[in-house]
Amino acid sequence: MMFHKVIRVPEERIAVIVGRNGRVRKRVEQLTNTKIEVGSDGVVTIRGSANADDHVLLWKARDIIQAMARGFSPKRALSLIDEDARLVIISLREFVGTSPSQLKRVAGRIIGENGRTRRVIEEVTETKVSVYGRTVAIIGYDPQLDYATRAVTMLIDGAPHGSVYKYLERSRREINRIKSELWMSDY
Amino acid sequence: MSEERNKWGIAHIYASYNDSIIHITDITGAETISRVSGGMMVKADRNESSPHAAMQAAFQAAREAKDKGIYGIHIRVRAPGGHGPKTPGPGAQAAIRALSRAGLRIGIIDEVTPMPHDGTRKPGGRRGRRV
Repeated sequence: MMFHKVIRVPEERIAVIVGRNGRVRKRVEQLTNTKIEVGSDGVVTIRGSANADDHVLLWKARDIIQAMARGFSPKRALSLIDEDARLVIISLREFVGTSPSQLKRVAGRIIGENGRTRRVIEEVTETKVSVYGRTVAIIGYDPQLDYATRAVTMLIDGAPHGSVYKYLERSRREINRIKSELWMSDY
Repeated sequence: MSEERNKWGIAHIYASYNDSIIHITDITGAETISRVSGGMMVKADRNESSPHAAMQAAFQAAREAKDKGIYGIHIRVRAPGGHGPKTPGPGAQAAIRALSRAGLRIGIIDEVTPMPHDGTRKPGGRRGRRV
């Protein structure tokens, strides 16, 4: 049995996905045990081998490619190979509509002055955030990823930066509490 | 397929941000063989969608299915879809992994999130959700 998945990527990101002499593509193929074909029109086909031991790997390959398509560098995208890491893509278009100036404004709010807001989100929630074109992509681990997503949607919805920072600060305490609970309760 | 020990089923995995449901049916999808959710495995409400709960639920479902003579399963993963989130929640990957570790053969993995071809309106209204 062969599985394959077809995804479309922006044309300007093809070079990143392939890498110099196809290095990035080979690395992804090797790590996820898949075959990846990149067409010049932005169509990427991922094929999984029939008797793979880990059936999630095909998804992983798709996520990694999608992360690179959404503006992550190959190095950062490859951190998705970890079992529990996940990728969340938020489309700005759903929230702000098609107006380019509004899109720019909201993207700017998420990035912040000299990337400050983005950096705070990344640091507090231990995630990786990429604002690219019409989307915001976040790579992270589970409890924290939720908080990062919430923070980004708060910013999109127009919450002042101060209250988002406050929310993140609160979530940091919450995360620490969950972490310490993990060792004690039967969960 | 007539052989008793070659019975295949379908595992429908519904992974949202609030819960994950593993529902194993026969190959037609009409007869339920076992149905377990993440919420049945943990005490705290906020853990219902956690990968850990999904794993436990998948193990439980796989055990029940194997008792009833299922040998392998095809997997159908879905997120809420529609106007909601279209990426499967945290439980999906954990559940798939648990099902394959539980000793069931895995056939085809499909993603069946319902995608609107422009469907119903998102809740919240024109001015967005006001908190």
